[in-house]
Amino acid sequence: MPKILKPLVVIVLAVAVAAGAAVYLSRQADQPEESTAPTHADIKGGGHIRGPEKASLTLVEFGDYQCPSCGAYHPLVKEIQNRYPQQLRLEFHHFPLVSIHPNSMLASKAAEAAGEQGRYWEMHDALFEHQREWSDSPNAEPIFVALASQMGLDSNKFMQGLRSPQLQDRILRDVEQGQNAKVDAVPTFFINGERVHIKLSMEDFVQVIQARLPK
Amino acid sequence: MKTRSAVVAILAFIGMVDALYLSIKRNAGPIPCHVTRGCTDVLTSKYSEIAGIPISWFGVGFYIVMFSLVAFKIFEDPKHPSDWLTASIFYLAGAALVVSALLVGIQAFILKAFCEYCLLSAVLVLTMFLLAPSPGRRKLPA
Repeated sequence: MPKILKPLVVIVLAVAVAAGAAVYLSRQADQPEESTAPTHADIKGGGHIRGPEKASLTLVEFGDYQCPSCGAYHPLVKEIQNRYPQQLRLEFHHFPLVSIHPNSMLASKAAEAAGEQGRYWEMHDALFEHQREWSDSPNAEPIFVALASQMGLDSNKFMQGLRSPQLQDRILRDVEQGQNAKVDAVPTFFINGERVHIKLSMEDFVQVIQARLPK
Repeated sequence: MKTRSAVVAILAFIGMVDALYLSIKRNAGPIPCHVTRGCTDVLTSKYSEIAGIPISWFGVGFYIVMFSLVAFKIFEDPKHPSDWLTASIFYLAGAALVVSALLVGIQAFILKAFCEYCLLSAVLVLTMFLLAPSPGRRKLPA
């Protein structure tokens, strides 16, 4: 065997074995974890609902506005609602991970404060769509106020909302619901009470929904 | 010297698996953390890609090049060791160490979240750098 062939064979073999190992490990990780989290949860009340009251499927999302992963899922959640406008409704619950996302609680309050003026979902979308602008900011409040003002909200009322203990309590009730449902990561999704693992792809989202639509 | 090169090759192989795993998992939903907290935060942050290409793919490229260089080093003729290979391995490991330090700094000070797979890569790079044959250490012929 020519001398140069030996290292080349070793390299090709190593890359092939590494690729095989990586694919195997990633598939292993896709298997439902032997987690202690229950597969079903009875989530009643709270949350904000977008979609028809009589939809056959309710997609509950426990999310954190500062979580990049939730931001990445946001367009998929919107798109899936557009694809199933009559069959699916979204129920969003706050689950701010304040220990690692210092602006997440204020962001939830901003959504609630906009909700007080009937514009919860607009702020919800804006917070995710502009996440990178405020996420790392040491003072995110002016950014939220600017978003509210762009939406034409009453700034004074919005500011009052940001400081409202009642709105904070509403968020904390969502968090408590999440803790009761053993939510341990964001976003966590439930469909009609069943905990579902959805990959970050529209294809997977559609498959998960399609499999649960009434026949 | 060959033993050290073999260890660097094994580390590069582990790094290849790690970086490939992250590249595959990146678009497949939340990435589970077992030791640290915030894998998905780190891997979906704005610092996780350059010009739209996930950093993990650059990692895959780095580990394949590193493994290849070390493989050629292991199989080289001991009577005529290549200075070019030794220097390439050393400086490539050094450059990767600088990048790794920067990425760990971003996790610690900006994102305030750690990804265990990225930390493993940083440890691998540091160990590879320490074990990489230094181009300056070769004895000159008498």
